[in-house]
Order: sequence, then structure tokens, then C-alpha cells
Amino acid sequence: MSYVGIFKMHLKGELQYRGKAISGIVTQVFWGFMRISLFTAFLATSSMQDFSLYQMSSYIWLGQAFLAAFYITVPPEVNKDIVRGDICYKFIRPMDIYNQWYASVLGSKIASTLLRFSPIIILGFCLPNSMGLMLPVSFEAFLLFCVSMCIGVCLCSAVILIAIYLSIKTLMPKGASAIVMSVTSLLSGALIPLPLMPASVQTVLNFLPFRYMSDLPYRIYIGNFTIAESCMQIGIAFVWLVALIVIGKLLMKSSLKKVVVQGG
Amino acid sequence: MPSIIEFQSICKNFKISLKNKGVWGSFLGLFKRKYKTIEALQNVSFSIEEGDIVGYIGPNGAGKSTTIKIMCGILTPTSGTCQIAGFVPWKDRKKYVQHIGVVFGQRSQLWWDVPVIESFELLKDIYKIEESAYKETLQLLDKTLNLSPLFHVPLRQLSLGQKMKCELAGALLHKPKILFLDEPTIGLDAVTKLAVRDFIKYINKEWKTTIILTTHDMNDIDALTNKIILIGKGKVLYNGSFSVLKNKYARTKTITVEFAKEYKTIQIEGYRVLEHNKNVATLQNEPTTEFHTQHFIEEVCKKYEIVDFSVSSISVDEILAQLYKEYEL
Repeated sequence: MSYVGIFKMHLKGELQYRGKAISGIVTQVFWGFMRISLFTAFLATSSMQDFSLYQMSSYIWLGQAFLAAFYITVPPEVNKDIVRGDICYKFIRPMDIYNQWYASVLGSKIASTLLRFSPIIILGFCLPNSMGLMLPVSFEAFLLFCVSMCIGVCLCSAVILIAIYLSIKTLMPKGASAIVMSVTSLLSGALIPLPLMPASVQTVLNFLPFRYMSDLPYRIYIGNFTIAESCMQIGIAFVWLVALIVIGKLLMKSSLKKVVVQGG
Repeated sequence: MPSIIEFQSICKNFKISLKNKGVWGSFLGLFKRKYKTIEALQNVSFSIEEGDIVGYIGPNGAGKSTTIKIMCGILTPTSGTCQIAGFVPWKDRKKYVQHIGVVFGQRSQLWWDVPVIESFELLKDIYKIEESAYKETLQLLDKTLNLSPLFHVPLRQLSLGQKMKCELAGALLHKPKILFLDEPTIGLDAVTKLAVRDFIKYINKEWKTTIILTTHDMNDIDALTNKIILIGKGKVLYNGSFSVLKNKYARTKTITVEFAKEYKTIQIEGYRVLEHNKNVATLQNEPTTEFHTQHFIEEVCKKYEIVDFSVSSISVDEILAQLYKEYEL
């Protein structure tokens, strides 16, 4: 399959950049400690019952380890294609353009995650309870965590494809990227863990796709949900995934009809 | 030979917004915008036969790239019809592009980060090329372009010439019926240019590939094409054999004459003085005069004493410059 080929190509391309990965890891570890101390202070002054300090630090370490998987940004090479008109090369391949981009986004995501996550996870396990990473609450929870991670990464890629659509529409990849990134990082819990948000906000977020990207797998891992609850939520995540892909494809189709590559 | 490309009264209009001058103008532009329609192509019609190498030429902004993009299925024309290899490019895009190869001289189609051979392998998957056919084609491309030393180098580490060779190979892996080359020799050194030209000729001969070539390098045109289409301001101005055109203009000769002494004025019937400096003058025959060496010498020696002279034909670049001038491009 050619889309698998594109996926592999981006996997390999990304795996070359060791230095980028190392600096990423250092940054993530630093921010991990910063965030944990911040939210520890926050938890100490609040009366949060169902979210322990250990769960909170675990949630944060997972977030730091898998940041690359859920980071929403239009990939730089797609930006370049759009701004400079190289997008025309996408048209001269006997392939679907949405699928091509989806495969490349997913490939880069998985590769950069694979390069980065293990040192941070190991570090998390080594830290003391109050600031470290716990083991998954049960083996079932761990399996469901893996499943929901996969769906989450796919969901995240579907959101990125919609961001790409916005870039094509506006020809301003940086702007489109920035808006989508700041909105999603707040609504998905990447900035502030969702359990720390007010209950009313959480209820609203349940009706949006964003918390099914990273918040759901992390909370399955730390045991916030029962197995039955987890399965139901994974179902919802899957429905969102299908819906966002369909929406993305329709949007892309309508906009690419009107794409005009000007100039030589 | 049946025609493989049929272009019939294709028009393409672009709408661009006009920007006002200055900050205040830009601010006003937020509320009210004026648009201008640019007719990039007006009623362009031509047909190209299978196995031809056609040079598609014209000054900057004439509509060359627009035409190529329409032929590749990237752009939809405003009106007109077009049939290429039995397809309407912008309608059956996915099926159609199986049959074409495209090289844009200033854009790269291979993957930047990975070794060239991996890009080729991926193209093999994308175009669903059989393993045996792929190997055979790759061997041939390697033999003619000497690619194998480049196979395991990432594209980003190749020089411009090496990159162009790889781009050409990448566009030909699936043995397309038609190859579009948009300025393929731009920025290449003399040796690489010759290699690329030889290769293009070779492919055309071996595979009977129809090749459409845009370029500003007139030597490309001279070396490669048997037919040219001249386009200017969105209209086809000339469509036919290049040698006919060349012969028409090759009648004009430039003669540099060195005289034995300085003459104040030089007048020779049927010739125009282009330049006159001390005892050297450059002349050119009038369109009505056929240049004939003996006649010319006799004519000159009647009035003046000469030491030396040389005759040169007009260069391909000059032919084109004259052509553009004639059509007021």
C-alpha cells in the first residue's frame, strides 16, 4: 500500500534526528518538574478528593512523555508546500491528498514519540511517590490505555488535517496552526490536567472531541475510570475519530477544488 | 502519428485583488477591495503528436506554467476542452496522472530527508510498478544517468545537478507516456546540461515518450525539440517546426569588417551599419538582400579598402529576441 509507504517514509525521516529528540526530552523533563511543583501547590490548597498527588504527577509525566504524540501543529513541510505552491506535486500523484497527508502526519508523530517517550517514563518510575509516575492501576487498564492511546493519536492527526485545511484556506499556516494549537491544548488537558478544572467545564468538554485525545488514556492509566466506563469512553473516542476524518475529507475536497497555484 | 494532446480554445482567468499603496491604502483594503481579472490564457489551441519533443516557449509571464499546470491536472481552465492520452486531466486526475511524469526545475518532488533509493521505492509503491519492471527501469536510468553512487545519499545532501538527475529518474520510473519538463536545465553547469539533454533525447527515442519542455535556454530548444509552440500574452503565436523558423532568421548575417583606414561614413547598398568605430564596422544585410560572400566583397571593395572581415549567423537567442520583438512581447 502506497499510503503505508508514505507513513514509513516519515517514520524513517523523523528517526534520523537524534539531536532534536534529545533536546526535546530535556525540555519535557524540565517542564515536567515545573508543572508538578505548580500543581502540587494548587492541590495543597484545594479540597480535591478523587485526584491524589501521585495521580496528578503521573498524569503530568505521561503528558510530558507523550507530548509529541498529541502536539497539534501543521508540519513544517506541509506549511512550505502550501505557502510556496509545492502542493501541486501532491496533485500529480495517483493518490488521495487527504490520505497522503494523514499518513505523513501520523508517521512523523509516531516516530517522534517513539524517540522521546521511554527516557521520561523511566525517569518517572524512578522518582518518589509524591512526584513520580505510578504503574498502571491494573493490567486491563494498561491494555485499554494502549488502545485509547492509538485512537487518541489518530484523532489528533485528524484534528491536524483540519488545521491544514484552515492553512490552505487562509494561506497563513502559522496563524491557523497557532489558533488550533492554543485552543486544543487548553481543551484537551495538555495545559492544565482536566481533573483540576471546574466540574461544569468538564461537563462541557465531554461533548467535545479534544479530551478524547490525551486526557482519556492518561486517566484510564491512573485509574480514574472503571473498566466499563473506559470502554464506553473509548467507543465515544472512536466515533469522534470517524466523524473528524469524514469532516476533514469533505472540507479538503471542497477547498482543493478551488486551489489555484499562481506564478511560475 | 495520432495526436496525444489536444488543446481546444482553453481560457484561464485569474482573479487577483489589487492592493492600494501605503498604510492607509492597506487599511482601506480591509473594507473594500478591487479585483482585476487576468487572462492568463486566451483561446489556446494546439495539438501534439505522439513521440514529439515540443518546446513550449515564451517570455516570462506568458502563460507557460499555467498551460503546464492545466496539462498536469493541477489547474482547471475557465473554459475550453482538453484531451490528453484519452483523459480530461482535471476530471480523472487520479487515473490520468499514472500516465504522465512531471519535473518542475525549481521544485523537488522527492522526499527531502531520506536516501534517494527510498524515494524511488516509495514511488514504486505509489505507481504500483511491478518489481521486475521497476528493476529494469532503474537499471536503465542508472546506466544513462550514472545514479547508483547517489542512491544511498539523502536528497538534501546532493548538489543541484545530482538532484536534477534524481528528479528526472523519479519522474520516469513508471514509464509515463508523456513527460512534462518545466525548465529542467535551470542552474545546471555545462556538463550536466549536456548529460540531461542527452538523456532526454535517449528516453524519447527508446520509449517513444512524448516530451513537452519549457525553457528559457535556447540551446535546449535547439538541441532537443523538433517543434515549438511560441506563446505570448496568453495567446499562441507560432506553432510549427523550429528549423523553419531558424532558416527564416538565419538569412540575417552579421559581418564585421576591418578597413585599411578610417572612413567617415560607410554606405553599402543592401546593408545596414550596426556599429562603426574607427576602422571597424559591423554590418547586417537588409531583409531584402540575400547575403552572398563574393557579391559582398565586390560591393565593398568598389569603395573601400579592407583588411579583414568575418561573417556570423544570428544566434538562437537572438532569433528569439527578434521574434519577441516582432510580436511586441
